[in-house]
Amino acid sequence: MSSTTREGRPRASSRVAQLLRSRTTQGFLFTAPLLVLFGAFVIYPMAFGVWYALDVDSYRALFSDPTFRQTVTNTLWYVGFAVNVKLFLALLLSGILDFPFRWIRILAALFLIPWAVPALPGILSFRWMLNSQWGIFNHLLTKLGLESVPWLARHDTALGAVMVFHIWKYLPFWTIILLAGRRAIPSELYEATAIDGASAFQNFVYVTFPLLRNLYLICTLLSMVFTLGDFTVPWLMTGGAPGDSTHVLATLAYRYTFQMGRLEWGLATFAVALPVTLGFIGLLLRWVKI
Amino acid sequence: MRQTRREFLKTTAVGAGATGALGLPTASRAQGQKLTVWWNKGYYPEEDAAMQKIVKEFEAQHKVEVDLSFTAQEDLLKKITAALIARRVPDVAFCFYNDWQVVPKYGWEDKLADVSDLIQALRPRYNEKMLPVAYVMNGKTKKRSYYGVPIEAQTMHIHYWRDMLREVGMADDPAKVPMKWDDYWTYWKKAQDALRKKDPAKYGKLYGIGMTESTRASDTLYNFEMALLSFNGETMDKDGKIVADQPKNREAIVKTLKWFGELFTSGYVPPDATNWTDGDNNAGFHSRTIVMTPNPSQSIPAAQFFNKDDPEKKNYFDNMATIEWPDGPDGKKARYLSAVKTIIVPKDSKNQKLAKDFIAFVVEKGRFTEYIKAANGRWFPAFNDMAVDPFWRAGHKGPKGQKDPHVPVATTIFLDRENKVFEHYKNPAFSQVYDENVWGKAMARIVIDKWPPEKAGDEAIERMKAIFASYK
Repeated sequence: MSSTTREGRPRASSRVAQLLRSRTTQGFLFTAPLLVLFGAFVIYPMAFGVWYALDVDSYRALFSDPTFRQTVTNTLWYVGFAVNVKLFLALLLSGILDFPFRWIRILAALFLIPWAVPALPGILSFRWMLNSQWGIFNHLLTKLGLESVPWLARHDTALGAVMVFHIWKYLPFWTIILLAGRRAIPSELYEATAIDGASAFQNFVYVTFPLLRNLYLICTLLSMVFTLGDFTVPWLMTGGAPGDSTHVLATLAYRYTFQMGRLEWGLATFAVALPVTLGFIGLLLRWVKI
Repeated sequence: MRQTRREFLKTTAVGAGATGALGLPTASRAQGQKLTVWWNKGYYPEEDAAMQKIVKEFEAQHKVEVDLSFTAQEDLLKKITAALIARRVPDVAFCFYNDWQVVPKYGWEDKLADVSDLIQALRPRYNEKMLPVAYVMNGKTKKRSYYGVPIEAQTMHIHYWRDMLREVGMADDPAKVPMKWDDYWTYWKKAQDALRKKDPAKYGKLYGIGMTESTRASDTLYNFEMALLSFNGETMDKDGKIVADQPKNREAIVKTLKWFGELFTSGYVPPDATNWTDGDNNAGFHSRTIVMTPNPSQSIPAAQFFNKDDPEKKNYFDNMATIEWPDGPDGKKARYLSAVKTIIVPKDSKNQKLAKDFIAFVVEKGRFTEYIKAANGRWFPAFNDMAVDPFWRAGHKGPKGQKDPHVPVATTIFLDRENKVFEHYKNPAFSQVYDENVWGKAMARIVIDKWPPEKAGDEAIERMKAIFASYK
């Protein structure tokens, strides 16, 4: 039986068969489960969130709330300061861990512990250490004859505690990433600079850093994206106290949504951060040329 | 026999379709006979056991299945909030935060079932003072109705360590503690000074007053509202209109905030009190790092009653006591506020009739007495026929015949003192004022940002007005 009509056009059944034989169709069919899941769990919630966040009244309410304004400043500090200090320290520490000594490997293993420790017990321990009545930090201060400090009861020190914990927790991870970057630099380059009599500092400035620069910037951007959405550390460390002065956008959105039942305010809070997050992601994609 | 790829896909698709076709109707059929109940996890295992027993009896009597789950209060509030927003709700929900965070707000948004019929049936049994808490405005119908069933209440008490006072030769009998405003607070300051002086190694970091002043704790709101009553201030009138900005009330608010600020900076309140959660003053008291603490509910003595390290219950009967809030600065007897814990039935529940039957079953006198007693006096019943039980006036009897120094004090506050429910029922905006912890924020402005009380008070009043303006 012919697969074409008298006019020479392919029959419907053969057109379907042809379509099914197409690699593109097969590709779509096989990725369909993933696409459905992606649509259900990424596209739909995002679109739902954006739709909710389109309410202008929500932004009016947000910008009239003094807590929101303070929160934006805190988030800028958290993302801008903590991430950059962390990455800079990671860059320096990766240099130390790059030394080919046995004890360095043991040190590197120990150094990874904060990253491996679950966040919750880590933060709770840190909170106990910072307690003004019986915490170890104040115990040491008073032993040295200094005044004890209510670390978590003052805005600056409470936000500082959040940043210090963030750096302590995530420094090992980024150090290992940068260490891997260092190890990928061909040793011939260092052999050549050694012949030219370059110092360790010159090696760093003219060889190591230029070759690590892209990785460093990508790590910074990635860390900024992660940190912008970080809820766990600020929430468990201070819960926004004292006086709701240490909220970041993620914790404030949570407070609006689940403590105040204002879903539209919570989503608007996320929407405020969205252009920044998308900007970081856009830069990142350009850098890695995806 | 090996399957081809095509056969495999065909079988899987048929299988999935069959599961869907057969499974879904089965699920919906089951839903009709099942009552979903979300209940606040008790502080003591006995409370949960008592509720499980009630549920079993209800299942047996009504021939239905009850899906009962217990969740801690902080998580349960979020679960209820999410459920009401998403309209995928339980049939009955009881959370300790329902009264001020769920009923006014979601009653206003028309997301709760009207339970006036059930309230009317129970009305003869109710302590009328506790009923208004659930009588809230519906923003859609613009009418007030009962959107919750009040069952048990908590009020303000102050607990202190008697043995600490004895240690420094101060009077530890509650009857001998001075009740005049200034003398009362000075008493605990003196206790701190004396204890620190007597044993600096042991008490060097002890504080006299465990006053929560944090935006993280609902205790802060309780403390503020109690002190505001003492300073004769109010923030809302009887119709739910804001009056905080009226000169008399503004002055009282400023005085109250100034008092909290001075108390904190005087060095007699732990510095971390601005960062405390609701449990932190309890923890500080149990670890004996504070001499006294104001606390709504009897959770502190109740925890000591169940203290396994103290089988003779010396702490409960001999070493600690519960005392009343002091007389106001003008010498008037303290006026109290009660938070009345409330059960809700979401409007989207498919089993509202059964849900109401369940609630009526739970609050039947004998059954509910057993449940509430399992909480060891932590809560006070909202029903008069239960409040007359001798337990509330006498409390527990100690192993050496000691009288209970806690439960009867709470009963006196509930039944013999001027006591009214929190007024968030008057206006849903007030619920948001509490959600935002506006007064905790004002306290932080004074003690952390060093604002004058007038400026902090004005900011709080302006915030209140902005919130009230959004509920029209």
